[in-house]
Amino acid sequence: MNRPWWERPVAVTVALTVLVAVFVTTAVVRDRTYAASAAETELLYLPSGDMVERMALSFDSLMADIYWIRAIQHYGGTKRSESTEKNYDLLGPLLDIATTLDPHFSVAYRFGAIFLTESYPNGPGRPDLAVALLEKGIEAMPERWEYYMDIGFIYYWWLQDYETAASWFERAADVPGASWWLRSLAATTLAAGGSRESSRMLWQQMYDSADNDWIRVEATRRLTQLRALDDIDQLIALAVRFDQQAGRPPRGWEELIQEGLLAGLPLDPTGLPYVLDFENGTMNVSPESELYPLPGESLPPLPQ
Amino acid sequence: MSTPAITLDGLTKDYAVGFWRPRPHRALDQVSLEVATGEVLGYLGPNGAGKTTTLKLLMQLIYPTAGTAEILGCPAGDVDASLRLGYLPELPYFYDNLSAEELLIYFGGLFGLSTADARERATTLLDRVGLGAARHQRLRRYSKGMLQRVGIAQALVNDPEVVFLDEPMSGLDPVGRRDMRELIRQLGAEGRTVFFSSHILSDAEALCSRVAIMARGKLIATGRIADLAFEVRGWELVVSGASADDVRALGLEESTREVDGRQVIELAIDQPPDRILPELARHGAQVVSLTPRHESLEDYFMRVVSQPGEAS
Amino acid sequence: MAIIGRIAVHVFKESVRDKVLYNLVLFAVLLIAASYLIGQLTAGQDVKIIKDLGLAATQIFGLFIAVFIGIGLVSKEVERRSIYSLLSKPIRRHELILGKYAGLVLTLAVNVVVMAATLYLVLGYMSWVESEEFKATWLRPAADPAMLPAIFLVFAQLALVTALALFFSTFSSPILSAVLTFGLYVVGHFNADLRNFESVVDSTAAAYLARALYYALPSLAPFDVKAAVVHGEPVTFGYVAMTTGYGAAYVAALLLAAVFIFSRRDFK
Repeated sequence: MNRPWWERPVAVTVALTVLVAVFVTTAVVRDRTYAASAAETELLYLPSGDMVERMALSFDSLMADIYWIRAIQHYGGTKRSESTEKNYDLLGPLLDIATTLDPHFSVAYRFGAIFLTESYPNGPGRPDLAVALLEKGIEAMPERWEYYMDIGFIYYWWLQDYETAASWFERAADVPGASWWLRSLAATTLAAGGSRESSRMLWQQMYDSADNDWIRVEATRRLTQLRALDDIDQLIALAVRFDQQAGRPPRGWEELIQEGLLAGLPLDPTGLPYVLDFENGTMNVSPESELYPLPGESLPPLPQ
Repeated sequence: MSTPAITLDGLTKDYAVGFWRPRPHRALDQVSLEVATGEVLGYLGPNGAGKTTTLKLLMQLIYPTAGTAEILGCPAGDVDASLRLGYLPELPYFYDNLSAEELLIYFGGLFGLSTADARERATTLLDRVGLGAARHQRLRRYSKGMLQRVGIAQALVNDPEVVFLDEPMSGLDPVGRRDMRELIRQLGAEGRTVFFSSHILSDAEALCSRVAIMARGKLIATGRIADLAFEVRGWELVVSGASADDVRALGLEESTREVDGRQVIELAIDQPPDRILPELARHGAQVVSLTPRHESLEDYFMRVVSQPGEAS
Repeated sequence: MAIIGRIAVHVFKESVRDKVLYNLVLFAVLLIAASYLIGQLTAGQDVKIIKDLGLAATQIFGLFIAVFIGIGLVSKEVERRSIYSLLSKPIRRHELILGKYAGLVLTLAVNVVVMAATLYLVLGYMSWVESEEFKATWLRPAADPAMLPAIFLVFAQLALVTALALFFSTFSSPILSAVLTFGLYVVGHFNADLRNFESVVDSTAAAYLARALYYALPSLAPFDVKAAVVHGEPVTFGYVAMTTGYGAAYVAALLLAAVFIFSRRDFK
């Protein structure tokens, strides 16, 4: 039987391949030319989670998942982008919509708060928004002591407000079923907030009570940062000894090595050498290190 | 010799049956047949013999597994053939929301007729099939018999040379059957080639120049009915002027019914009419008609397959 | 071509007979009633709300027509066996598919044009009765021609949805076709979320799969610029052309696949 081309499998396969290539190319070009993704464009016109909730009809929790994924994409995508001006502005509204749609979205509160607090360029550096998000979580689920602890933690770590931090740890300890160590954490914070030892205790508890890998990895990183701070203390002590012997601060690690004070280049726990900035008189981890930047504890100045 | 109107050559169709592990089922097996121009052919066979399958292959509603079908020298399904044929499907159904006239105008348009020409044709055809009065009624309100008539009208909308009718008598009341028989006879008289299928032998008896008999997907006989050696299974005798008592006297009251003041007597094969007719005449009865009752197509088929020598 | 046209006109007539266009009356009533009520309630925002409502209703009414008539275009003919007499006429099977598609797209076009005209009429009236000081609070003029690209893209999107429905109905049951079409409609509005998947997942395989799905599934979100035009964001000609081109290629692929499947089908 003599069939026309549109009834022959081979011809149809070829033609379909061409057409698919055409529309995929169009989509690629369109996405390149008009950069803002549909998700973001749409978001510009959604002022509140309440509005989305009304629009989502009965699919609230599914919509919450979608907005949570958009929040992660927005955070992760911006963090990884090459751009020098990173804009995390949508993160707060996205998290707000996700948690309004599903007020019991625990992951969104706890992780969302971590994303929001991260300092620039790794995050927007908005501890205030993080505290507000967690307070919204407490309103929905007052029995979750972790939220109180997370708020206390933000005050401790990012805002260095140890008194407020201690009071939030106390409130966490008051929640039935809370971990036993919260009360001693509160006491330590009040007595010696900001000291490296109390920080170490805080992160160690975070590590031990972590219910997922992400928090465990984060706690490990923070504990490693504290070890780097310990290293830097020792290196500063060496520099002070050099200063006493040579009558001037060292210009670089080579001088300390020549003097026999160091066996080789001092490496941070991730294997990158520490940086001695003679001009500014500071020591720090390398900006390429995963540990960079070190937490808000002000680094002790080098002897001048 | 001119090209036959219809040529089937080794036409075969397998259907896959069974959902889980489909196996091929042969619905039509190596059917070869020629129908000359102007011939009225009865395509006969019991239900499931492959008649509708053959017609669908001719319309290319389905594709053959093997073999070819040609209409007026063109392969089946060819637009050139479609222009010159008409087709009435089995138990036809159309669009609920159209009237008969609108349907014919739509179909006429597909043949390239202008709306005015198509409307004129529709009027003629609907009058011809006896639907002139109902032409503006929506088809959803049509009875089965009326739809069958619309089906005939739409098959004739292009004044076709070849007409295919699939079970044209089914779904019709006695009046409808008589009209349909008359219509087929006219189509033949107009010189059109008619190919119609039926599972009832008597439908074909008075109409066809030739019949083709199908059973279980195979063509088992072709020829004139008179030549095909259908066995006589009895007679139907209609008489007038006889009373119920006369019939009882002959011992026939079991097989007699009265219709319009006439006695219709079913005679079995062991009661030849030549013995009873003189008796009836003695009681003053007059013979209205005497018709032999032939065996059914199913019986014919069973008999022919059990005696292989007799099938042609 | 003439045959395709005749079939298309038949589809349009049938949909008129099926009272499909009654939805236009509903649309007009809805819009006029809403504009009256909203006019009583809010200040300054009423024109924006009418625009949002009118454009959304155009899309939703069109979507229901595209899906529910689209899935029946071919399958109803097969199910009711009217296809038997139709295909014995001098038409080829691809002409039937293309004619059916053209007919429904024509129905949708009439629908969208009438709805757009109604929307402009209502907005024009509001503009006419309001005072100049009040109009100054409006972000955009009421009968804003900038809405036309959005309306056109709504129509283009409906044409794509129609092709989906027609494609599914050439090989599956009407209910399954409706489910698949609605499913792809929803997915099509969210699959932009698949595009940036690699920023969420570490597995490259998953990221590639997500990206392949993003390109293979119909992207409907780019057709949706309703919000942008209501807020006065510019929608460029290039964007409209590119999105329409995308839709046209996608429709062509679906129709070709539908023709291929339909042409080889047996009507038992």
